[in-house]
Amino acid sequence: MNADLETLQESNKTELERRGSIFNIGAPATEAVTIRDQIAVGFGDGTVRFFQSGSDPKTVKAHKGVVLSMTNYEDHVLTGGEDGRFLKISSDGNIDEIFNFGSKWVDCVASHKDTKVCSSGKNVYIWTKNKDKPLTLEHQSTVAGLAFDNKGKRLAVSRYGGVTLWKLNNNKWTSSNFTWKGSHGTVTFSPDTKYIVTAMQENQIHGWRLNDKADLAMRGYPSKIKSFTWVGDTPYLVTSGSSDAVCWPFDGKEGPMGRKPIVVANGGKELATFVKALNGEKAVFTGFTDGSVLLAEIDESKKPIMIRSSTGSEVSTIAISSDNSQILIGDMKGSILLSSLWADN
Amino acid sequence: MENTSQVPVTVLTGFLGAGKTTLLNRILTEQHGRKYAVIVNEFGEQGIDNDLVVDADEEVFEMNNGCICCTVRGDLIRILSGLMKRADKLDAIIVETTGLADPAPVAQTFFVDQDVADRTKLDAIVTVADAVHLSSQLVDHHEAEEQIAFADVILLNKVELVGDNDIVKVNDRIRKINPFAKIIKTTRCDAPLDEIVGLNAFSLDRVLDIEPDFLESDHDHEHDDDVTSLSFVSDTPLDMDKFQDWFGNLLRTKGQDILRSKGILNFKGEEERYVFQGVHMLMDASPMGPWPKGKDRSSRVVFIGRDLDNMNLKEGFDNCKSA
Repeated sequence: MNADLETLQESNKTELERRGSIFNIGAPATEAVTIRDQIAVGFGDGTVRFFQSGSDPKTVKAHKGVVLSMTNYEDHVLTGGEDGRFLKISSDGNIDEIFNFGSKWVDCVASHKDTKVCSSGKNVYIWTKNKDKPLTLEHQSTVAGLAFDNKGKRLAVSRYGGVTLWKLNNNKWTSSNFTWKGSHGTVTFSPDTKYIVTAMQENQIHGWRLNDKADLAMRGYPSKIKSFTWVGDTPYLVTSGSSDAVCWPFDGKEGPMGRKPIVVANGGKELATFVKALNGEKAVFTGFTDGSVLLAEIDESKKPIMIRSSTGSEVSTIAISSDNSQILIGDMKGSILLSSLWADN
Repeated sequence: MENTSQVPVTVLTGFLGAGKTTLLNRILTEQHGRKYAVIVNEFGEQGIDNDLVVDADEEVFEMNNGCICCTVRGDLIRILSGLMKRADKLDAIIVETTGLADPAPVAQTFFVDQDVADRTKLDAIVTVADAVHLSSQLVDHHEAEEQIAFADVILLNKVELVGDNDIVKVNDRIRKINPFAKIIKTTRCDAPLDEIVGLNAFSLDRVLDIEPDFLESDHDHEHDDDVTSLSFVSDTPLDMDKFQDWFGNLLRTKGQDILRSKGILNFKGEEERYVFQGVHMLMDASPMGPWPKGKDRSSRVVFIGRDLDNMNLKEGFDNCKSA
């Protein structure tokens, strides 16, 4: 009887679960970034763990309390923590404290080449090469998102009431404001850098076309949008927050204005909580509130593939190794699936 | 959404000097065997150094939901969602507000933000009041009135510095504003912590604890902008449609002046008791099991707010009685 049950459970596993490894860390996975052939994951217990196919993860005790934010920086990761520390960490466990903000959290981090950026409270701090002291950019309310454009010349800072867009000219930062009522969270530039988009505290995303500040309000979601990702050459901005992955087309002059999004990867009664593009493909991984993950092409006529079955805990992060060979999926209970994406790997 | 994994949040209000910091220090240092995180604001009276203390700037944001008095604490949404990612589970979270803060945005955050509502629950609003200065603060600052009006528990602190007669006076003054808060008289905030944290005061079934003794209508106040309370009782069952029309319209049009509302309702043709509790325009309501056998099925409602006399509350409530 028991044996039968095990067989049944085994057969319920997805192909990727069968060939991959599962690690139970016991703390929520908060962020994941790729550094070469490794994937670094930050956790709610303050650790950063470096995962690599075929070996056990290397654990670095980085923060006291939650790892709130993480990004890659050369061969390192930058992390911001609940303990007020902004850290540079290498995969061999070397920790370099860039700054300590005390009882103020380090909510957001960003980087471009040799520039390191973090936010704490209403301020953004920028460390450029060979300078010990950071440059401080002040804002009217707490910073909730940071994003560099692809050249590192513009920095979008989201906050209550909109986005402050900083431009670097002759080593000086100047700002302009993009205004929309409400509280703005995570921010992103479109790959062609013509648009910026934020996830709002309300159940909607908001975008601006940079050349004329035209507004794009994308509404109709049943829950908050916690994650978005740019997919394909069109490109599509794919978002969580609904029972499907909602894909807004950003081609043409008008982008998604007046157009309907494509919806793929239906999760039934589960809501999408995390989305991640498959590099170089017109396809997206979508994680749901029950822990399941689907891979779908941005094509409503194609059927999605089940990548990870339900764990009962919402998907909080997904990362793909830089060579597109490995996928890492983490959830709020701290269960990690690391698996090769292709059968012949 | 009721959920056992929701972490209870206690909101701590009170004027500068009333004793909030004394209470916070007790919560952080006493051997209570529980894990409490404390969110303090930058204008706190003195620095408290502890790993479980989070520094916040009170940021009151307007919501885009068309509700004109609907403001929330944006910093709280961010910090609570961060705390929910901790590996170790917190037994409770205590939010300190600045001395002059309006408690409404904090309370409304728990009604409006889905992530906050899913993972945490508003446990109680606890107000520390200075027995020596409360009477004059109530005259000079409408924030002091609001903090008393919103409270589920009031620590009447520094009673050792006040004579018995004056304690009775200040107690009566509090009762006029807020008939249902529990008043605990303290010296150096020395009330047992389990009477302050983990009360479930915002749980709908606690609405049933409204004591009939307090439900005396009182029109004896001096200024129209004073915060007062009104309450009504009906032994005649209410008509559900009529009540919903009246109450919905009341909160929509007068919600800015109604600070808190609570009630237990006996609807005609319904076996179950209905309870509700509201903060300004937002409210939570649901059926709460059958009426206890052998007890009167009477409907009771309480309003705390400003300008209540001009809302035709009695007439409106009476019109809801089923024919």
